Amino acid sequence: MKHIVKILSLLLAVSAFWIGLLQAAIIHPGYNTWLLPIYFVVSLGCYGLLMVGLGLMQFPTCPQEALLLQHDIAEAKDFFKHKGVDVGSD
Amino acid sequence: MELADRAVGLLLSSISLSIFTYYTFWVIILPFVDSDHFIHKYFLPQDYAILVPVFSGVTLLSLLSVFIGMVMLKSKKKKA
Repeated sequence: MKHIVKILSLLLAVSAFWIGLLQAAIIHPGYNTWLLPIYFVVSLGCYGLLMVGLGLMQFPTCPQEALLLQHDIAEAKDFFKHKGVDVGSD
Repeated sequence: MELADRAVGLLLSSISLSIFTYYTFWVIILPFVDSDHFIHKYFLPQDYAILVPVFSGVTLLSLLSVFIGMVMLKSKKKKA
């Protein structure tokens, strides 16, 4: 919960700073003052999506380790069945 | 299935790259192009460059909060 509060307060501070800058400067008011911040937000979202896509493409699957893991699971199940513990989920 | 993962990853990155280039063109390059160039046909008027991201961002945030609210309600009902 504290993380969300921290992020929201940071966002509020940045927008207050931006609006203060706008009031002080000599930019003509209207729609176009919002264009640059929105562009940055959109590019940030695009960058995040790109990183997710790239990570998905390069994710390693390790097939030998998967096989070894299956062997280990079968061995452990066998061991526990002989000791009398209920392992039935097959 | 790493092939399915690769395909989804490729799709995501291509979508994000195309959105980024289209939006960059729209916002940054197009104001400096003469208004009777043919390229203006492929881009909506500039007012939409603000409306579309804001609208989709607001929709996304409201959907997220609805989802979080539903999950919270469901967990509270299960506890009680």
